[in-house]
Amino acid sequence: MPLEIASSVQEKTARLTLSGELDSNSAPAVRQAVESVLAGMPESLVLQVEKLTFMASAGLRILIFAKQKQPSLKIYMVKPQALVVETLKKTGFYDAVYVTDTEIGPEVKAR
Amino acid sequence: MPEKTFPGTLDSLEPVRDYVADAARAAGLDKSRTYRLCLAVDEIATNVVLHGYEEAGLTGEIVIDAAQEPDKLVIRLVDHGRPYDPDTTRTPDLEGSLLDREEGGLGVFLARDGVDHFDYTSGDNGNIHRFVVLLSANNSAKAP
Repeated sequence: MPLEIASSVQEKTARLTLSGELDSNSAPAVRQAVESVLAGMPESLVLQVEKLTFMASAGLRILIFAKQKQPSLKIYMVKPQALVVETLKKTGFYDAVYVTDTEIGPEVKAR
Repeated sequence: MPEKTFPGTLDSLEPVRDYVADAARAAGLDKSRTYRLCLAVDEIATNVVLHGYEEAGLTGEIVIDAAQEPDKLVIRLVDHGRPYDPDTTRTPDLEGSLLDREEGGLGVFLARDGVDHFDYTSGDNGNIHRFVVLLSANNSAKAP
């Protein structure tokens, strides 16, 4: 299933909703969206990934990109699917992001 | 399953994954093993497109076939681009802060991790990547 991307910024929280499959074909659009929402230097990037059914290493590289572009950024992944979590864990990315199964409100409290 | 030929472009990644998923389903693999196999083939197909064709200034095709044997499922990915030997890929950095990570090597790592056996040969017949998933006696049954 092709990837759908929705983005918004509210206060200091940038939000990206990703639905479908994230591979090297769809990754450039995601990277562009990340670049766009980071323009305002938000404190947090919330990735709504409940409907992300596939994530290749291209997705991991976007996480690296976001963090290296803005080192202070807190990255949240909301409701990732189990198989995506497996990829995060085996590549050591699980501890680099905040994985949560609860929705995150417009203003994210710093942790 | 009959082999299928795709253009060596990133647009082919999704149909390649669909082909592999069909083969995995026919072999009775569970969801997790199917996903890991699709991911493995996707990562290598990506490298073939980007490094084997695009960066080398070449165009070409990817041929994929699936062979189910009693004890294993074998997926083969064949291309005729510039040889890109996964064995020469750097070992990825799997620990440490994202601030220090380099990008390379993650794809091949996930490819190897996703299957029981992975190998690569390059010769007159092209570059051949083989992905092998071992089937247990239970795997031949259809998933409920």
